[in-house]
Amino acid sequence: MKKLLTLILFVGLVLPAAAQSLLLKGVVRDSAGEPLIGAFVVEQGTQNGTMTGVEGDFALSTRRGAAIEISCIGYTTQVITNNGEQNLVVVLADDSQMLEETVVIGYGVQKKSVVTASIAKVDAEALEKSAQLRVDSALKGLAAGVNVTSSSGQPGAASRIRIRGTGTVNDSNPLYIVDGMPIGIDGIDYLNPNDIESIEVLKDAASGAVYGARAANGVILVTTKKGSKGKASISYNYSFGLSSPWRLREVLNASEYALLTNEGLINAGEAPIYSDPFAYGEGTDWQREVFNFNAPQHQHEVSVSGASDRFNYYMSLGYVDQDGIVGGNYGRSNYNRLTLRSNTSYTVWDSSEDRSFLNKFTLGSNVSYSNIKASSIEANGQFNTVVTSALAMSPILSVYATEEQAAAQKAAYGDLVTYGANGQMFMIPGASFNDMINPVAMMNLPGDKNWTHKFVANFSGELQIWDNLKFRSSVGFDMGFWGSDGYNYLYYLSPAVKNDEHTSVWSSVNRNLSWQVENVLTYDKTLGDHSFSVLFGQSASAYNGQNLGGSRWHVSDLNKPSIDYASGLQKEGEMSVYGGPFDPARLASYFFRASYNYAERYMAQFTVRRDGSSRFGSNNKWATFPSFSLGWNLHREPYLQDVKPEWLSNAKLRFSWGKNGNEAIGNFRYTTLTDSGENNSIFGNPEQTVIGNKASALSNQSLRWETSTQTDFGLDLGFFNNSLTFTVDWYRKITDGMLMEMNIPSYVGENKPIGNVGIMSNSGVEFELGYKYSVNDFNLRVNGNATYLRNKLIEYGNETGWAEYGSFQGAGSFLRAENGKPFTYFYGYKTDGIFQNMAEVNAYTAVVLDEEGNPMTQLIQPDAVPGDVRFVDVNGDGSITAEDRTDIGNGTPDWTWGINIGMDWKGFDFSMMWQGTLGNDIFDATRRIDVRGTNQPAYILNRWTGEGTSNKYPRFIIGDKTTNWNASDLYVCDGSYARLKNIQLGYTLPAKLTEKFLVSSLRVYVAAENLITLTSYRGFDPEISSGNGYSLGVDYGVYPQARTFTFGVNVKFGRPRNVK
Amino acid sequence: MKKYRILAAAVALAFATSCTTDFLTVENPKAKPIEDYFNTETTVFESLVAAYAPLHWPDWFGGYYNPVNIASDVMADQIWPGGGTATDFGDLKYLARYDADGRYTLPGLWSAAYSGVKRSNDVLLYIDWAREAGNISAESAKLFEAEARALRVFYYNWLWKFWGNIPYYEKNLEDPFVCEQIKADEVYDHIITDLEGVIALNVLPMVRPESEAGRVSQAMAYMLYAEITMYQNDASRLPTALNYMKAIIEDVHYDLLPDYAEVFKESGEWKSETIYDINYMSEGGRRDWSWVTGEGGTILPRLIGPRGWEDGYAGYLSGWGLGPVRTSTVEMFDDADARKAATCFDVASLAEAGGKTYENTAYQHTGYYLQKYAPLDANRQGCIADWQMNFNNNLRVYRYSETLLNAAELVLRNYGSGDAAAWLNAVHGRSLPGTTVEATLENVKKERALEFVGEGKRYWDLVRWELTADPDGIQASKVLTGHDEMNFRQITWSSSKKYIPIPDAEISAAAGTAYPLTQNNY
Repeated sequence: MKKLLTLILFVGLVLPAAAQSLLLKGVVRDSAGEPLIGAFVVEQGTQNGTMTGVEGDFALSTRRGAAIEISCIGYTTQVITNNGEQNLVVVLADDSQMLEETVVIGYGVQKKSVVTASIAKVDAEALEKSAQLRVDSALKGLAAGVNVTSSSGQPGAASRIRIRGTGTVNDSNPLYIVDGMPIGIDGIDYLNPNDIESIEVLKDAASGAVYGARAANGVILVTTKKGSKGKASISYNYSFGLSSPWRLREVLNASEYALLTNEGLINAGEAPIYSDPFAYGEGTDWQREVFNFNAPQHQHEVSVSGASDRFNYYMSLGYVDQDGIVGGNYGRSNYNRLTLRSNTSYTVWDSSEDRSFLNKFTLGSNVSYSNIKASSIEANGQFNTVVTSALAMSPILSVYATEEQAAAQKAAYGDLVTYGANGQMFMIPGASFNDMINPVAMMNLPGDKNWTHKFVANFSGELQIWDNLKFRSSVGFDMGFWGSDGYNYLYYLSPAVKNDEHTSVWSSVNRNLSWQVENVLTYDKTLGDHSFSVLFGQSASAYNGQNLGGSRWHVSDLNKPSIDYASGLQKEGEMSVYGGPFDPARLASYFFRASYNYAERYMAQFTVRRDGSSRFGSNNKWATFPSFSLGWNLHREPYLQDVKPEWLSNAKLRFSWGKNGNEAIGNFRYTTLTDSGENNSIFGNPEQTVIGNKASALSNQSLRWETSTQTDFGLDLGFFNNSLTFTVDWYRKITDGMLMEMNIPSYVGENKPIGNVGIMSNSGVEFELGYKYSVNDFNLRVNGNATYLRNKLIEYGNETGWAEYGSFQGAGSFLRAENGKPFTYFYGYKTDGIFQNMAEVNAYTAVVLDEEGNPMTQLIQPDAVPGDVRFVDVNGDGSITAEDRTDIGNGTPDWTWGINIGMDWKGFDFSMMWQGTLGNDIFDATRRIDVRGTNQPAYILNRWTGEGTSNKYPRFIIGDKTTNWNASDLYVCDGSYARLKNIQLGYTLPAKLTEKFLVSSLRVYVAAENLITLTSYRGFDPEISSGNGYSLGVDYGVYPQARTFTFGVNVKFGRPRNVK
Repeated sequence: MKKYRILAAAVALAFATSCTTDFLTVENPKAKPIEDYFNTETTVFESLVAAYAPLHWPDWFGGYYNPVNIASDVMADQIWPGGGTATDFGDLKYLARYDADGRYTLPGLWSAAYSGVKRSNDVLLYIDWAREAGNISAESAKLFEAEARALRVFYYNWLWKFWGNIPYYEKNLEDPFVCEQIKADEVYDHIITDLEGVIALNVLPMVRPESEAGRVSQAMAYMLYAEITMYQNDASRLPTALNYMKAIIEDVHYDLLPDYAEVFKESGEWKSETIYDINYMSEGGRRDWSWVTGEGGTILPRLIGPRGWEDGYAGYLSGWGLGPVRTSTVEMFDDADARKAATCFDVASLAEAGGKTYENTAYQHTGYYLQKYAPLDANRQGCIADWQMNFNNNLRVYRYSETLLNAAELVLRNYGSGDAAAWLNAVHGRSLPGTTVEATLENVKKERALEFVGEGKRYWDLVRWELTADPDGIQASKVLTGHDEMNFRQITWSSSKKYIPIPDAEISAAAGTAYPLTQNNY
């Protein structure tokens, strides 16, 4: 132990130099003549050594003739003899072997040059620049084939990640593996992106196959940081940011609102109510009342890392505190996270020089803890959310009641009226606003406070058995504790949002534990030009958990809401409790992978995994997932050496095929269990509840995994010594046996069983481009990626071949899944302008057959009047019916792209990241026509008011009962956008200045997130996903993403870093 | 070398741990496989309780308001469908106009009834399991069997009367989960035979003790028998039906309550007049929008309450205006008839009496709602979940007055002997004391029209009497014919209207299977 401590303390500072007779002095440079800082200069076989300084200089005393080893990561090690030289210049050659990029492939790493599968890699540098709270958000725009859509701008909100499209109508989330440990998607925000060394996204079946039954939707491998040998660094990062909405929606001001209301009432055949619309002026800007401008966020980050021959450590502490731009100032949308991590490894013995068996044993542990406190508001709902209410509130009304209003409200609602922090009574809008409410009053309500503690620990031992035969065993735990607390006082905000009967308080706690044990044998061997790598492994994992919660009425003191400090009685039904174990789940697996390459010219890889899952019946517990891939490095063909042009430095063809599974389908669905839920009856007089019990469902014992089969062709090219690289992949992925409720008649009298009935297809092309350029002190890096995706639901699995996935109040259902269409798409009427006059209505006719079969001409829209929408008679039956609804767009982009540009010059660095989509639509469901009093979006000013005034928006009617606003393409907007996601400018102070304070590097930067968004969409944000990812592009009034300006500083202490 | 052996053993162990199937076999911590559970007397009884549960669902189930009494009566001539607008309660409106198609035909009732069938069948299966395990007494097994089969007949009776030609099964369906659709007459044969079997078991008590009120009794089975055979006009069985009615009349437990209005009050529940009620309670009621099958109250009073009423005024709550009582129904009653006020809720007068003006906002408003299930504030007290769904009004299914009128009718139709005049006048005289009527079939029909408004009897009576003319002057001329006083129903009833269309979704789900469904020719 003492030795360990010594190591920690001294590695990277000064290795103790024994007093010896002969002093050797010199400098170490690289091949370009630049000094190498931090290179090791050690007398072989001893602890005697030193490291080079800022000028690459060193001085070491040893006995004369001692062998001195000079080493530096990324360079070939040199051994020299101490001959007392005082101005020695050592030039270390680049170690091209070591520098060659490696890729994490699951249970191992592989040189990028021999990778045959389709894997996208994102490194720490790119993640640092994107500076996101969550690993899912951080991936946005960085990898081809990985579509990341922010669900909203709520701090800490999860993003929707789809790897190569939506794989199934069920859970399409990828599998996250963090340092070998699978982490559930709900808990993935325990991970601090600053701790990540690299992320590999396994996209094709061949790369995912080693994770078999869980890989159908892709695998995200996260590797966290380690210490670097030769470096000991303590770093501290701080950033402070201010967030604001990047745009407000254009809505009517008070005068416009009054004018339009009058017009709409007249059109509805009612009397206007505002005698002098212009008297109202601008009125209340509800968006300004609701948004939290300049919402602050802070981030602190400390890490210490380093390594010696035997010990490697990385420890970090991270803290984030972020206020949301809607409700963050009311404690309703806030995120606060503390993370701690310790990654260490220790070589217990290393006798690889002495013997060939059992010669090396390494222990490792990755331990992390996170604590999250968060609150959130509904981010994309059509009924009375803070944002939708802000859009719907009349600008004539004010946040706080006028004296007259206050008196009336007090009389009507008594103690149910609520007050703001300023002591003023909140205005309660009238019945003409339906469920919409005063959004500021809503934010003022106490929200639920959510909390999470999560521990993830993974321990491993690796033993070198013989030659290159290694055995690695690991055990990991993921332990989570989370819950929420809330209370309610008495209030009345609207007929739909009120609590007028009793106060209450509630609380819940949950815990879960996953463990995993893995044992892996690997053997690598190179014999001449033949290289083999074989892996055989076993894995077992289990999950269980439990919850407990309760609630109670009649809070004794609203300032101290707790269940114990409330007076509701259980026998009165005023106190309730619930809880119990979660469904346990287990997975057992064996996997095998064999890789072969001949002279790194021809590559082949075969992977098979056999998984057994507790989620299936005894006849279907096990399934096998095979895959293979092939690669061909053309540029290494000897016979092409003379033919290939000088500038072509790399050309690789890849092909892969394989099957992956999806077992994320819930538990116990193969069997029939008791169901004590909804089966009680009432007997007796007086009546008494009698407990009943029944079978839960009809069972389908032949239930099995969803299986996806994927084929991938890839081409990698490198030009000009690989300074320009280009990769293209084409793939096709078919998911078969998607689980759906079986479409059988309801007369079975029971919940219907689940069956493997659906089919989904995804195909696409992915491009990645990289360019590096250096001249003098100027470096430029450009990385771009673009993805084309085509998603198609081939077979939904029910009788009709379609299903509704969403509707909008007043417009009806508009979101569907349907065979042959993207999952999901917008469904509604096609419009063809506005009827300008009666003649146009009368001219809109079709020839149909009458009852006797004779052709006759009839009006297609007989009820229409000028100013109404002309709908397209899609099915040509001469009238507009529900059958005329058709595909009017969808939220899945055709193209997703990202561009990263980085440059540095002397101490300055600059980076920016653009990302965007093309070809996706948005269904703008933010205008509720059923709410009579609602404010209107500004585009309503372009309504039809007479012949020639508009050919898009129909006449405006309050309480519109016409079909004009049925779900149609009038709601659909182009959702394509290009966004400057990040832009950052930094300056690193000259080391000479900072070194005096033991600071090796001090960088300051300014950055902006979402600085520029180019889109034709009129809403808050073109990026929207909700409803478990199904409702992509449906805008009910989404909580928008913020534009954030950040100032930050990065400080590194200790000895200078290796500059390279 | 020992070190290596240990190591080898460790490796072998590590690889072996997960290969057992034991590891992959997990138990659900909150439920048991049914085979391991439903094999004792206690658990079979639990399954029987679950078989009763769907009785209370139809008023709001599967997204549809299909209260059986209102769904029946809107097809007759005493109430309007009403509701908020012309399209509110759409399926009831189409049925009321004899204009239904497969999109609008009580899918909630259909699903609830079949859930009852399935659960009843399960009880019979579980009795076998418990018998095999030796965990149930012979008496209990017989009693539970009788109850489950009676319930099954009760559920099939709903399906048979509304849809007629239906899929029928007595063993629950297995993959591919379809069965044959049979003709209405065959359904009748099955259910009446099943019910005869129940009665023959002779294990059901004639009346349940108060603690078991709501469970099937022999008297309930008799009433069910009379209802089914009379609706089928099965001359071979009607004498038996009469005997069953007489058995109830002779039983000392059953009698009329002196006050007709009392019958529909909370205090009148499970008194001597009650032969069978479906129980609802408000105290602790947990039925909710998110848990419609939870036990508790009924939403019926809320559905049929006066639209726009000031909540709480005069003890009444507002409602959604379903089922306004027709003006002709109000006029049918003699002013002295106690049933008039107990049936017709004169909302305007009640409001005026308190100096309030009642502003109607309902469709087909007549000024009258159904008093029997009017939404009384007192009847929803003590519920935990949404009060709208937790009224305590039991649904009156069979009353003693129906026993008397059934018996009188059967005697007058010459299916046996008995004092028809006494039975008829017992009912008549209760509400119009001191008056009597002559014992004729027409007077029995008229008495039924007055006695059972809003109780889901009238339409089936009209169908089985085949009333297309006006034999008795009680507005039967308008019965089942189009062009009523609101000009609402434009289609005249014909025998094809007897069976309403089967829900479309069922037809499409069964299409292409071994047993496709044939839609009723409505």
